[in-house]
Amino acid sequence: MNHALLIMTLLLAPLLGFLFNGFRFSSKDAYLAGTVATGAAAISFFCSLLLWKDLLALPVESRVIATHFFDWINVGALNVRFGFVVDQISAIMILVVTGVGSLIHLFSVGYMAHDERPTKYFAYLNLFLFNMLILVLGDNLVITFVGWEGVGLCSYLLVGFWFTDSQKASAGMKAFVTNRIGDAGFLIGMFTLFFAFGTLNYADLAAIIPKVPETAWLGTITIATLCLFLGATGKSAQIPLYVWLPDAMAGPTPVSALIHAATMVTAGVYLFVRMSNVLVMAPHTMEVIAWVGASTAFVAATIGVTQWDIKKILAYSTVSQLGYMFLAVGVGAFTAAQFHLMTHAFFKALMFLGSGSVIHAMHEEQDVRHMGGLKKYLPITHITFVCGWLAIIGMPPFAGFFSKDEILFQAFASPYGNKGLWALGVVTAGLTAFYMTRLMCLTFWGKSRFGHDKHPHESPPTMAIPLIILGVFSVIGGWVGIPHVIGGGVGIPNILEGWLEPVTAQLKETEVSGLLEWGLMGFSVAVAAISALIAYSFYILSPETPKSIAAALGGFYDAVCNKYYVDEFYQGWIINPLVEGSKALWLYIDVNFIDKATYLAGDLVSGAASFVKTVQNGKTQSYALYMALGVVVVMTIVLL
Amino acid sequence: MWEAIAFYSLAFFLVFFAFKTITVPNPIHAALYLVLTMIGLGAAFFNLGAQFIAGVQMIVYAGAVMVLFVMVLMLFDLKAELRSFSKGLFSGGLKVMSAALLAGLAIGAANSSVAILDTQDAAKPTMDVTRQLGILLYTKYLYAFEALGILLLAVAVGVVAVSRIKGGTHAQH
Amino acid sequence: MLSIETFLHVGLAHYIFLSGILFSFGMIAVLMRKNVIVMLMGVELMLNAVNLSFIAFSKESGNLNGHIMVFFVMTIAAAEAGVGLALAVAIYKKFHEVNIRFFEHLRG
Repeated sequence: MNHALLIMTLLLAPLLGFLFNGFRFSSKDAYLAGTVATGAAAISFFCSLLLWKDLLALPVESRVIATHFFDWINVGALNVRFGFVVDQISAIMILVVTGVGSLIHLFSVGYMAHDERPTKYFAYLNLFLFNMLILVLGDNLVITFVGWEGVGLCSYLLVGFWFTDSQKASAGMKAFVTNRIGDAGFLIGMFTLFFAFGTLNYADLAAIIPKVPETAWLGTITIATLCLFLGATGKSAQIPLYVWLPDAMAGPTPVSALIHAATMVTAGVYLFVRMSNVLVMAPHTMEVIAWVGASTAFVAATIGVTQWDIKKILAYSTVSQLGYMFLAVGVGAFTAAQFHLMTHAFFKALMFLGSGSVIHAMHEEQDVRHMGGLKKYLPITHITFVCGWLAIIGMPPFAGFFSKDEILFQAFASPYGNKGLWALGVVTAGLTAFYMTRLMCLTFWGKSRFGHDKHPHESPPTMAIPLIILGVFSVIGGWVGIPHVIGGGVGIPNILEGWLEPVTAQLKETEVSGLLEWGLMGFSVAVAAISALIAYSFYILSPETPKSIAAALGGFYDAVCNKYYVDEFYQGWIINPLVEGSKALWLYIDVNFIDKATYLAGDLVSGAASFVKTVQNGKTQSYALYMALGVVVVMTIVLL
Repeated sequence: MWEAIAFYSLAFFLVFFAFKTITVPNPIHAALYLVLTMIGLGAAFFNLGAQFIAGVQMIVYAGAVMVLFVMVLMLFDLKAELRSFSKGLFSGGLKVMSAALLAGLAIGAANSSVAILDTQDAAKPTMDVTRQLGILLYTKYLYAFEALGILLLAVAVGVVAVSRIKGGTHAQH
Repeated sequence: MLSIETFLHVGLAHYIFLSGILFSFGMIAVLMRKNVIVMLMGVELMLNAVNLSFIAFSKESGNLNGHIMVFFVMTIAAAEAGVGLALAVAIYKKFHEVNIRFFEHLRG
């Protein structure tokens, strides 16, 4: 089929869904809106499948489907075309985005059936899908930025969806503003790249970029990639711009699943995988990215241990897993990053949807201290959630094991890797296992701690089916990336590595013995298993132990529970001074100076006018005199 | 020489009467002085050989227009006016000066342009002026002449219409 | 060249001069007198001064164009005087005043 038409359908289906639902935004018919929206997402998924099939048919060297619709910006040296490219990376992305997106749209039909403004919600969801597809399909940085901004906007709209609650509305604003700070970095990175290389097209950049890595900290590529990384920290919630993601749990749960787990927050990772050829030429940036990623993973995991809101636990878990992805990018393991992106989309979306199912069943209760023993009331949710849990803590043969383990191995063995990074990763894996098991214990297992007025019931099929599908993928999703060490012996290739090899930068691998690899794998699995057991014993067998540990840690526990007071720090040291400074500027420059100058100009004119007004005194004879004088003057000029 | 004497005495009277017209406070006196000025002007026209025009001046201006003026003045009950001149020495001086300047410029312009007077259609000295004037009016300027008639008709109607508004001309008590 | 000759030999310039003086008198009357009727009289005086200059020029140039002009000016001046006086009557009937210091309604 004609590729341009396929890509256009892929992009326009969600846009049309947005327009259709957008014009009917006040309708309360959730089923019609939901059907249209899910249909649009499904059409996009179908187009992605067709494009992937066509891509498979192409030979490996030229495995790319490119199309461009029109020349967009043509100013001086800047030539930006409205072009889209489907290659190995974007194929994975569009399949994940549209596939998981369609499932979440289906889930939302059941979840938002009794909401006040369901049609607006579905319109926004489709708009988000449209922007995300533009982001991942664009063939140059500008198109990606258009999508980047668009998903930021949709994040704001959807997080602050229940805007009548001022806290939720301000959470939306926080998400948007923090994103924008990152976007400034993105823009400066774009400007630097354009200034240095004259193009913003990914393919052209990969061709032009110098083949010798930079050694200086102030080299052009280093600065550009650092600025782009600042943008990525905003979008993908890394230190220092991660503060919006936990607050963004104020939005509806399917939104958290789609945007803040599976798709939008992975945009930063996608950007760097796409620009891998540029990134490897700036080793200092990679170092920064790796350490920021690892620290974010660790810090977020520590905070996740102390949270009581089910969605906040999952939010910090997302920040932590994103940290893993950036760790992978930073050590040059682009394939591993993309792999973890994919598996994380499956199991995190699954867990968010599962938590949505739990919240729906518990009638909007989100505190895990009031849950417990839901295993027998919500069987499907429970089973799928178990699949997600095992995936995230990295138990073989579930999906998360393969991807997370690949990252840890590369952190250990890659030429850009570092034992310290590996150690941080392993500790974080242990913490991840701990708090996820804690979540399971407090929510599904053990004794029920909710009152008898709540009668939890299983979710309807529109909500259960996506859970089941995602559960299946959480189990089998990792089997496309079986490392050589395991699969080499039985003849199973690492499909994903082979798929992505032509487009990502390949680093010289240090040779590591198979035994070391098995040892590392076993070590991380053991750490995860032990942490899970500890958590189980804490929360099921002897519930008093965690409380006493928390009391013993005292102030430290409070600090962690309050997210290390980072929000308060930002508020006090950055936001408030800016606001006060702006107020002072407003007062001293705008009110005192500019306004006064404007009034002065007005008063001058007004005064001059009243002075000139005295000419018109209403006396005919004065007017006659003026006429006579005028005639005298004219005659003088003419005659003399 | 007699010509010069005639001219100068006529000019003197004209200037004197005109000056009195504009300076006496009582408007009736001013009107009467203006009548005398008109008569003097008729004499000046006669001096210049424009007999017909002199006659028309006497009949129309001195005989009709000024009578109209006096009649209207009689309609109003005007006491001798306080402050019949606009106040202010400076503005008065300015007005006089501007009038004088204007007049001076005009005179200068007129005198210097004498040389470019066109002397075509030099009058045939055989016929007298009135006859010549009549021929001109009824042949070359007939259209304007008839238009004048219509204008006068319109004015006559208009004057009556304007002055018929409600209200009396008796003085207020 | 103000010799006795220029004074004795009365020509065009003298009449123009006279006309100018009369014109300026008329203008002063318009500018300085407060009574509406006297202002109209000043206008009449101005028109008459102009008539005088027309006749003088006509004599100088020998043709009768000046006479024709005077004819028309006179007619129209008379008509205009009539209209002006009718307006003055109307004003008097309305306001019982013909002193223009009471009529400054167009003051800005």
